[in-house]
Amino acid sequence: MMKFESQPDAASQSASPTSRQRILVVDDEAHIVQVLSLKLRNAGYDVLTAIDGEEGFELAVQHRPNLIITDFQMPYMTGLELCRELAANPETAGIPVVILTARGYALDPEDLTIGNIKNVLSKPFSPRAIMELIQRLLQSQPGAQAGNRSEVA
Amino acid sequence: MQAGKIASLILVLLVTAVATLLRVFALWAWELDAAPATTRVWMFAAIVGAVSATVLIPMGGILDRSITKLRKQIENAATSSQPIILDGLSWLQPISRAFIGAVDQFQQRERALRNQLGDLEIRHRVSEAERRQVEAVLHALRDAVVVTDAFNEVVMANQTAAAVLGFDLKAALHKPIDDVIHDQALRQLIRDTRDTANFTDTRHVEQAVSGGKPADGGTSESRVFDITLSCVENHKHEVGGVVTILHDLTREREISQMKSDFVSKASHELRTPLSSIRAYVEMLVDGEATDEASRAECYRIMQNETERLGRLIDNMLNISRIEAGIVQIDRENVDMKGLVKRALHTLEPQAKEKKMALHTRLAAIDLCVEGDADMLYQVVLNLVSNGVKYTPEGGRVTIAADSDNLTRSVLVTVSDTGLGIPPDALPKLFDKFYRVENYKRVAKGTGLGLSLCKHIVETVHHGQIGVESKLGMGSKFWFSIPMRYAGSKAAA
Repeated sequence: MMKFESQPDAASQSASPTSRQRILVVDDEAHIVQVLSLKLRNAGYDVLTAIDGEEGFELAVQHRPNLIITDFQMPYMTGLELCRELAANPETAGIPVVILTARGYALDPEDLTIGNIKNVLSKPFSPRAIMELIQRLLQSQPGAQAGNRSEVA
Repeated sequence: MQAGKIASLILVLLVTAVATLLRVFALWAWELDAAPATTRVWMFAAIVGAVSATVLIPMGGILDRSITKLRKQIENAATSSQPIILDGLSWLQPISRAFIGAVDQFQQRERALRNQLGDLEIRHRVSEAERRQVEAVLHALRDAVVVTDAFNEVVMANQTAAAVLGFDLKAALHKPIDDVIHDQALRQLIRDTRDTANFTDTRHVEQAVSGGKPADGGTSESRVFDITLSCVENHKHEVGGVVTILHDLTREREISQMKSDFVSKASHELRTPLSSIRAYVEMLVDGEATDEASRAECYRIMQNETERLGRLIDNMLNISRIEAGIVQIDRENVDMKGLVKRALHTLEPQAKEKKMALHTRLAAIDLCVEGDADMLYQVVLNLVSNGVKYTPEGGRVTIAADSDNLTRSVLVTVSDTGLGIPPDALPKLFDKFYRVENYKRVAKGTGLGLSLCKHIVETVHHGQIGVESKLGMGSKFWFSIPMRYAGSKAAA
């Protein structure tokens, strides 16, 4: 896609030298996917991207990322439906999810109990704030080790 | 009169003759002394009888003629409105005078009654006119009105009430509310209001009321109403009845729902480009774009998204300006063929990029309409641009323009060989912010383009716009603009 997608090498290596954790970004807005990928790769994460819920779910099952960031409103499968699918699958049920939405108030608080939703951030968002949140979530994640091991294998 | 005199004369002569005869007979009878007494009595009786008959028969004839004449005069008098004159019957005068007096009185009484009747008719007409006026006012109201009397019977109701509460207006009159209104709670409200007899305050209740008979379907639709109930006082300061007004809140609720939907959709649409801009700005500030190329890419995205934001705001403002009727419209003679050519020229590069062909089929005659050239150009540009956006590479977009002599308008159609539109999306296509969910990825858009087109065509130019499409078979968008603008119907 973009030229700077292949950037996260020298600069990011220092930020996260040991375990390259994998993050899945799902959003139908290409720019959002792009900017998040850049931020995360610069910080040393492996980034997978999907442009809708269906593709996101397939990638999640296939690559079992350490964390998923998904948009709420997407064609084919919304972020919430994706969370439901993930929760229904034992292989992906434990993956923490962060939802990004341009309409925070349209979300029913009850819906947020579905699956493993950790946070809901409203758009416009700050990539910096997302970065901090992700680092915090991954550090407190007990399954992080397991995720790393499967990645190694 | 001559006949009368002759009759009198004959009568006198007859009486004289009879008297003479009587005397002669009497003398002759008395001289018949030899005859027995009985014979004499019989003879006398016979003579008297003969004489009476001779006198009475002509008299009876005269009397009969007089009465016949009187009768005819009375009969004539009865049919004419002239004052009655009974003449030539001097000896019947006492009777005729009394009769005339009586008739005069009758006539006076008749005149008085006629006047009264006239007054009553006028009053009746006035009250009838007033009743019609009240009914007209009632029927003109968009709120449902039911007027009941002291016995909770329907005295008056309007069409809205009949429609909303599901009864037959004519059949409902003078029927108890139990037979007319199906909603039990509403009946209770009317009864309560009648029983409280509070003339000073009106009651306001917000309540769902079900219309229609439970018989037809069982689940009759219920709507929320603002119900106003007030007691009517009669001339004896008693409860004369109850006026019930039902104001449907459904539409107001819908409008407020539409407004909040608009705000929520608008904010969603505005946030999307804004989040890109904000994120890229922060990336640049934080020095995340490490080389010149990626920085340039960030700038380009920010510029595009800023433009997108600007377009979105422009479209939103244009739509709301047209909706509010405050848009500035420059009406002039617009050459529609020229507009089509201009739009094609603008979109040619985009079409070329997708290896698409843009065809035109323009009528040979002049196609001029009265309208706002800039706005109409936007419509053509929007439709052709959609055609290019939603048609895969190598496809074709055809723009045709012709005159429709029947409706005296210019018809422009834009057909493509693209994806087509799902049937369930067709009715919502011209709605604000509506986008075919699965095509969001195919092309970018604000979801406002077609809504704006519809406003420009229908609200500003009194034209028509529509779409025909089959999934996978391409779409055909069309609009028609009247050649002459109906100025009297100007909306703005």
